[in-house]
Amino acid sequence: MVRLAELPDYEREHLLSKNMPPLGPAVWTAPIKPVSQMRFALVTTAGLHHRDDTAFEFADATFRPIDGQENPDKLVMSHSSVNFDKSGFAEDVNIVFPLGRFRELLAEGSIGSLADVHYSFMGAGLLPAAYASSAAQVAGMLKRDKVDAVFLTPV
Amino acid sequence: MQPPRALWVPFPLGRPLGKPGDAAFQLDVIKTALKLLDRSEGPVLEDYPHDAPPVEAEDVAVCPVSFGQDSADDDSWKSRLNREISQLKPWYELSCRRRGGRTLVGIADQLPEQNIQTLAQHLDEDVLPADIIWMKRAVEDIKAYYVEAMTAQPGDYDPQALQTQFWQETSFGAAVLALYHEFSSSESGQMKLIARILAPREAVGAASGPKGGHTP
Repeated sequence: MVRLAELPDYEREHLLSKNMPPLGPAVWTAPIKPVSQMRFALVTTAGLHHRDDTAFEFADATFRPIDGQENPDKLVMSHSSVNFDKSGFAEDVNIVFPLGRFRELLAEGSIGSLADVHYSFMGAGLLPAAYASSAAQVAGMLKRDKVDAVFLTPV
Repeated sequence: MQPPRALWVPFPLGRPLGKPGDAAFQLDVIKTALKLLDRSEGPVLEDYPHDAPPVEAEDVAVCPVSFGQDSADDDSWKSRLNREISQLKPWYELSCRRRGGRTLVGIADQLPEQNIQTLAQHLDEDVLPADIIWMKRAVEDIKAYYVEAMTAQPGDYDPQALQTQFWQETSFGAAVLALYHEFSSSESGQMKLIARILAPREAVGAASGPKGGHTP
């Protein structure tokens, strides 16, 4: 997330005008094991999915599972917002979904393992409460996948 | 979202890892974030200390197509947009080859060349598209086609300059802004919402009005 001070005036005012209350008590988990032994999943709000998946609607609280074995270069983006740069993703999927980078970390032994499945949401047009059901589903799936930590990439 | 640990990065929206194609920089961002997992107390919100590597001026790619030089007699949207996308086609194809077949085009059911014809017809006849899902996907596909073609040259490019060029110099950028103004000038709140998913606030604020074709 870019610093508010570095956003164009209209964008900063738009975000500040939302004036949303906090989501609730902050969650916290103390370190449970070294990073080099942790299992990681990626979760993005960039509206990514494979070409033959159902595209996201304009306001859409569903998610798309992304198989960890597939080539992330095949992912496309159907995020409804027009107010962020998409040229970086067109050039390099790692800019918002760094599965290639995490595979490198795994190969060098910096992390323990990668999840079987990663997840993509489309973060636009809805208030946070609309995502509660989908988020709970994904949390359950991450537990079944024995994931220790999630790397979240908002756009 | 109140995650337990967050790294606040000073990069443009849409680029949370900083710079496309720069694996070393992306890895540094990730490793800095992963170090937060060692913290025993939180929540943690920490600033990433580095800006994204700058685009060197001599590396800034010049768009392979010259926009805004159209002097043909036929200034209909159909004519202008067909000419423009035809000019871009070889560069889009080069982009696909250079990126190993990777393209973001394909969300819409029809090809960009077909969709741009249909959009042009709507503009030339002053009839707004009724199928909003089709329109949104068509516009996004054609934008992806343009951006991939415009960045097909080797070397670095400045994303802000790219956006400015797309919205202020291309006929398709002008066409989307024309659609934006038609929807946003409606008294219907629903129509105004549709306008907002067509063009970014920055482009609407910067544009002096649509060029060419049938201006509304």
